[in-house]
Amino acid sequence: MPDSPTPTPRVRADARGVHGRRRMRIVLSTMWSHGTGRFALIVLGLWMLISVVSLFWTPQSLWKTDGYHVWAAPSRAHWLGTDGTGADLFSWLMAGSRTNLLIVLLTVAFAAAFGLLLVAMMVSRHSALAHGSVVAIDALISIPTVLIALMLAVPMGASVAVIVLACGFGYGLNLARVARPQALLAAHSMYVESALANGASAPRVFFTHIVPNIMPVLIVQCSLSAGTAVLAEAGLTYLGVGVPSGVPSWGHSLSTSVRFINIYPLTVLWPGLLVTIVVVALNLFGDALRDASDPLINPRLRGA
Amino acid sequence: MTATNGANGAHGESGATEGHTNQQDTAFSTDASLQAHAKRPGGGPRRSIWAIVAVIVIAVALIVGFWHPWARKADQTQSSGAADTVAIGLKLAPTNLDIRNTAGSALDQVLIGNVYEGLVARSSENKVVPALAKSWDVSADGLKYTFHLNTGLTFSNGDPLTAEDVVWSINELESKQYHDADALKNSKSVSAPNSDTVVIELTKPYANLLWALTGRAGLVFDKDAKYVAKTQAVGSGPYVVEQFTPNSSITLKANPEYWGAQPKTPTVVVKYFADDNAAVNALKSNEVQVLAPITASLAKPFEDDPAHYTVEAGDGTDKYVLGMNNAAGKPTGDKRVREAIRYAIDHDQLIAARGGADKALGGPIPSLDPGYEDLTGLYPHDVEKAKALLTEAGYTKEHPLKLTLTYANTYGTDIGDQLRSQLKAVNIDLKVNVVEFSTWLQDVYTDKDYDLSLVDHNESHDFTQWSNADYYYNYNNPKVAELTDEALGSTDDAKRDELLAQAARIVSQDAAADWLFNYRVTTAMDKGVSGFPVNMNQTLMPLAELSYTPAVTK
Repeated sequence: MPDSPTPTPRVRADARGVHGRRRMRIVLSTMWSHGTGRFALIVLGLWMLISVVSLFWTPQSLWKTDGYHVWAAPSRAHWLGTDGTGADLFSWLMAGSRTNLLIVLLTVAFAAAFGLLLVAMMVSRHSALAHGSVVAIDALISIPTVLIALMLAVPMGASVAVIVLACGFGYGLNLARVARPQALLAAHSMYVESALANGASAPRVFFTHIVPNIMPVLIVQCSLSAGTAVLAEAGLTYLGVGVPSGVPSWGHSLSTSVRFINIYPLTVLWPGLLVTIVVVALNLFGDALRDASDPLINPRLRGA
Repeated sequence: MTATNGANGAHGESGATEGHTNQQDTAFSTDASLQAHAKRPGGGPRRSIWAIVAVIVIAVALIVGFWHPWARKADQTQSSGAADTVAIGLKLAPTNLDIRNTAGSALDQVLIGNVYEGLVARSSENKVVPALAKSWDVSADGLKYTFHLNTGLTFSNGDPLTAEDVVWSINELESKQYHDADALKNSKSVSAPNSDTVVIELTKPYANLLWALTGRAGLVFDKDAKYVAKTQAVGSGPYVVEQFTPNSSITLKANPEYWGAQPKTPTVVVKYFADDNAAVNALKSNEVQVLAPITASLAKPFEDDPAHYTVEAGDGTDKYVLGMNNAAGKPTGDKRVREAIRYAIDHDQLIAARGGADKALGGPIPSLDPGYEDLTGLYPHDVEKAKALLTEAGYTKEHPLKLTLTYANTYGTDIGDQLRSQLKAVNIDLKVNVVEFSTWLQDVYTDKDYDLSLVDHNESHDFTQWSNADYYYNYNNPKVAELTDEALGSTDDAKRDELLAQAARIVSQDAAADWLFNYRVTTAMDKGVSGFPVNMNQTLMPLAELSYTPAVTK
């Protein structure tokens, strides 16, 4: 794109503006002031809180099964009723939240790292590497995440690692492809030229000039990935290649009760509702965070 | 700031250009169509309104037609008697029809007794009854079996079925080692002294010979027929396979050449549902009239509606075996550990959680097999005793026994979760490893690399697995092997049953495994269905007596 207009780096706007903790406070309070952002922050905050609490306390022991009281209706002892083994559904969902949180964090971290690596390859000045990686990513992106997970499950068995690797790989490819145009604009800009002319190393240029420019795309993609990772956990666990038996997760609760949806619809409803709320919250979180952290959109960040 | 504006601007411009072009295109095409309309006065818009009205009317008519209960039951209400077609919903579908080469009970279920017949057959109580042979004599030494065939036997292609076909079928089985060939033990020769007599001679007495002949090993095929065994079937049974769609359905039609009485229902359609909810919906919408198996929990809505449905649990020979690796190096090689596990498991609770249809089973022989004895009293649920035995073996709350349970994912995760919970109470830390069936076959069955295993041993007359020291249980008790050999070599059924019962008691006392329960298959049927086999219908499902009389109004 030789004729495209030269963008100026966003990070410079930040540099003129506010930093560090004050910046974070502004971002959070901007998010809080919008309805969707507040919803996302509340849901995600509760999610983390419950995950931590579940490490120390659940209303009932996870391992207390009671074959005589399976599929029980909600009661004082079992707030959301019991599942097909007679274990307390509420406790399993509570404990499941920590597994899902771990999966989401690891998946997003892996997807972001892998995606940035691919972006770096695609905007590389070695044209063979750049072109080769574009073709490779276009080819790899056609492989469904589920298929990757099924293949990984053969040597690894059902495990959290399968979900993290398969989703991280798939979402990283997506992220890279979506971020490439923005990254190219920055990479071919005058200030990158001048930085290189002044002897800046390639990694330094990448992290100080290119990454800040693709940050909005990155945030949205990561939040999408986080939401999709929750869904993928449920789906892959249903297929038997996700979270192994005995590890609490929302997908586990869903997959064990979904066969009986005709007879005990309530038992499926709770984990389903939970997954839906969290996925919506994650997507809204990404949007709100992008809007709040972009100095072009959020005037409070531009203040001196 | 300029960056985004610039980019947006560029994008906006290109968008505008596109929009412009589109507008031009649209304008042009609108003009053209207007012109076209102008040429046909009175056509155009009014006609299209009529077309829309017609589409709506047809759609409404179709919806009403499909949903209306009269339409659905129309052909059934016209004939006040039995329906010509009955549809049956099953779970495991055969991949092809080649019963001589393909394993899997799905083929036995649909073909034996319906399409193919043997010299003898099995009753719903798992006893041997006459089929192609109307009677048989056994010599006093148990070495010579003489079968007298029925008269007028024919195959579905019109060929007569003679003793020569029987001899050819058994010889082919043994020479080509077709599936289940090893069920015929000690065989010396098969001969046909005349066209309606078959003689089987043995080298040693074999008490299970007649029973073995009721299965695949005894099926009689037409030696002159040419057909593609994977997609076609030529047998002597009351039905012929009219249509076979792999993994989906089989249509059986009454065999006009059948030598016996015609089956009650001329056409039976067997449909396979891998998904339980789809199966339940099929029965609800009357797409099928019979559903087997259905889990006891899923059958609840049908049980609650006795005006329209019957739900029955039938006896079977499915043994849910919690296999324990008896090898000396394993923790479960210690008899105290195995006993503790048996005491720790609350079988009644497991059965209750599954809906209560299954039966407690205390030993390796289920009630429909020879040698059955109620052994559930040997290891009653007793947590204290289990704890004491484990403490004696060196495992305490501080140093729990760590075991891994490996089983195939077809059995669901619930049962593993329950076992872990029950064993936790006696200081056993159970890791549940749910794997693909092929992985289980490799790791547990072939490599014998496991602590605990769970599998449904559904075969009948399979006690010999306990006298086989090479089987995956690693169980080796010479006394059991001796008793089993003696039982199989006996010429008297009562003697055989008694010896097998003795051997089974030893196996159970040794705590060689734990038998979680005897699975009983639950069948849900439309109220008008009769004659469907309820016992063992996952391996043996003769359909000749099946009939369906639809309720006149529903």
